Amino acid sequence: MRLARLRFTLQKYLRLYFAFFRASFVADLEFRANFITRIITDVIWYAAQIFTFEVLFLHTNKLGDWNVDQTRVFLGIVFVVDAFYMIMFHDNLDRMNTSIRKGDLDLLLVKPVSSQFMLSCQRISTAMIGNLGIGTAWLIWSIAQLPDISWLNLLWLLVLLPCGVLAVYCLRFLFSASALIFTQAESVMYLWYQIYRLGLRPDSIYVPWLRFAILTIMPVGFIASVPARAILEPASYGLFAWVLLWTVGLMIFTSWLWRLGLKKYSSASS
Amino acid sequence: MTKRLEPHIAIETQDLGRSFKTYSKSEGILASLRGFWDRKYEERVALAPTNLRIESGQIIGLVGANGAGKTTFLKLLSGLIHPSSGTAQVLGYSPWERKPEFLSQIALLLGQKNQLWWDLSPMDSFALLTEIYDKDAALSRKRLAMLAEILACGHVLKTQLRRLSLGERMKMEIIGALLHEPKILFLDEPTIGLDIVAQTSIRNFLVEYVKLQGPTVILTSHYMDDIAMLADRLLLISKGQFVYDGTVDSFVAKTEQKQKISFSLAAPLDQDFQINPQIFLKAGEQEFSFSVLGHELPPALAKVAAFPQVHNIRIEEVDFEDVIHSFLEKESRVLSPGHSESP
Amino acid sequence: MVTSLIEVAVWTGIFRGLQATTLGGFGLDNYLAYAIWGSFVARISVTWNYESRMIEEIESGSINVLLSRPTSFYEYYLFQFFGYKVVTTFISLLVPLTAALWFDLPIFLDRLPLALLLIFYYLILVHTLSFCIATIAFHLNRVHSFTVAKNLSLWLLSGELIPLDLLPDFWRGILLNLPFANAVYIPVGYITGRGDIALLQQGFLTTTIGIIFFGLLARLSWQSGIRVYTGTGA
Repeated sequence: MRLARLRFTLQKYLRLYFAFFRASFVADLEFRANFITRIITDVIWYAAQIFTFEVLFLHTNKLGDWNVDQTRVFLGIVFVVDAFYMIMFHDNLDRMNTSIRKGDLDLLLVKPVSSQFMLSCQRISTAMIGNLGIGTAWLIWSIAQLPDISWLNLLWLLVLLPCGVLAVYCLRFLFSASALIFTQAESVMYLWYQIYRLGLRPDSIYVPWLRFAILTIMPVGFIASVPARAILEPASYGLFAWVLLWTVGLMIFTSWLWRLGLKKYSSASS
Repeated sequence: MTKRLEPHIAIETQDLGRSFKTYSKSEGILASLRGFWDRKYEERVALAPTNLRIESGQIIGLVGANGAGKTTFLKLLSGLIHPSSGTAQVLGYSPWERKPEFLSQIALLLGQKNQLWWDLSPMDSFALLTEIYDKDAALSRKRLAMLAEILACGHVLKTQLRRLSLGERMKMEIIGALLHEPKILFLDEPTIGLDIVAQTSIRNFLVEYVKLQGPTVILTSHYMDDIAMLADRLLLISKGQFVYDGTVDSFVAKTEQKQKISFSLAAPLDQDFQINPQIFLKAGEQEFSFSVLGHELPPALAKVAAFPQVHNIRIEEVDFEDVIHSFLEKESRVLSPGHSESP
Repeated sequence: MVTSLIEVAVWTGIFRGLQATTLGGFGLDNYLAYAIWGSFVARISVTWNYESRMIEEIESGSINVLLSRPTSFYEYYLFQFFGYKVVTTFISLLVPLTAALWFDLPIFLDRLPLALLLIFYYLILVHTLSFCIATIAFHLNRVHSFTVAKNLSLWLLSGELIPLDLLPDFWRGILLNLPFANAVYIPVGYITGRGDIALLQQGFLTTTIGIIFFGLLARLSWQSGIRVYTGTGA
């Protein structure tokens, strides 16, 4: 009985997400110039990341644990996870504070759907799909350059990629929520981006305590470092299990925090 | 916890109340410092404990001054905020538990806010709403066509929301709120800011819709016309307390409508002038403004018109807030907890 | 300041992963100095606010207001921009200075005045470039995306990401001949000893050429824009 209900709920939310996608796409088509400018902007950003590493590798053979081919795979994963995050969550979380302060939350709360889901997923940046294509192409190309990869490696990669996206979502959500509490939106967002940057470099280059931090408290290491390990190194099942568990834990924590926030909201609003 | 309501009662409240703790902030550095560890909290009563029963299909007009508690009451019944005291059952559910089964049967329209997407046509937004409420797409489309026909806005369904006029946008918001056939409508200032044509159009629509579908409606408004045209029952709320619960007609009878006359003279008045036993115009002034009861208007107007060189004569209906104020002055009776009147 | 901390973490990490103690001839402390001063200088040489303001004024403002100022639109914003940047520069200078002295990083403090002079000189080019972008607002909507694209491109070319002397000769040559290397690499390279006075002189030269080039472009763009605005044919 419970299983059937779960399946029903999942189906409903999937259908709803597809409806969000359709609506967002229609809305985005209005701004055709946006498609182009976003692609250009992100291409430059991708170029900057690639550029940095390629230049460094002119002067060394290894960076952290990896050589140039392996680092390229790492970068590909960065691009793909970043693209998914930007498509699915960025716009929503960016607007979260303003829409809550403006009181738009009320209209979400009277809908028979999870308000966290509505707030986090409603607006999809379909304009960024081009970037996902570019990132994926780079990833596939860089994986193809590797001497040996197994299907198991690839499978683990596919499992850990969504973990990366969800970890970024949870972190960003927590930052947005704290910006709301401390009403310091700009500084908090700036801080967020700096921490995010830590995840854009292989975790093996950092000192042990920092490496620990980005795999636990601020798991930006889930963005690319761990998924990259899945494909570049022999499987480390302990680490992968940790990522899975911690991601699930973060999602539960975020959901709990949201419900707590709502209780406060409904006790405080006038 | 859902309580069994009598079948014809849609909404019932028992001592439902809501107050807010605010702390009084004093001026000055010393006071602020003192306030740091010795905060004086004030309790502000947004809604005094209230007992009400609303039958299915009733149209309730909820009026009151700004800050009287109208929106708080609506938010409590729609589950947006938790009460400080008491309970309520809406369609047998406790609103603030926010169960999906409850939420899919109510609709909340907030006059100044949009739920529809700015960059989409209403048509596309409605498709999204159909999905959110898990309704059948074909039935939804039929319903949309029916609603759009009554509201006479079918021709702009495919135009982007941001390109529509304020009145058209409001019509679309109303359709959006009604698309899922809610049993209870909470309408907060649905006609605010609209021109006369749009207001009338929406009022007429609501009358017709209510006849067709028979939902329970709680409508708040600043415009007496909204209430007069639609409401079976009028609830007047002042400072968090319900001070009147009866028909619109008996309310109107209890309050005497005043009219405000204002005008100016070319030269200052050379001596005091009496309009009627209560109203005197002062010598030396040029701009005048006073209010008279409906039946006192013609003689007062005749006296004003008799002035040589009088300009800018204006006659206005007294502000609704003043009507409420004068009603409250006349009637100091308050509906006490445990006692409610139903016509 | 947080940026600097992140940079320190990243570069320390990079050096941990190297098999040598130098990269391109310089040690870790040089890169740390470069990173810290680089992020400080980069903040000075970029403009978001003033460019947005100019764009907004053109997008929304009346032509009479624009033309009736005693100083021209360009000069008006140049003085404002400069004033703001000079003040914030000297205030925020404390951060990299303190960091450099605290961690005993290789900084040639006697080179700082000339480097600052180059940075301020470069700001004229920054303003001129912003002005060019702003004049696009005469013809198009949503010019903000141009600002984003421009700033991102400059970020790539400025040397903030990585010192330009690490590039292969061919690319280094190109980038150093563009004026944009003055945004970060040339002044910071000079202060940290990656380059000498010749590098600085090249910086002044390329900046001057840049100012002339973009200045002419700005003038043409403005005139064309004003013509469109007043409807006297374009």
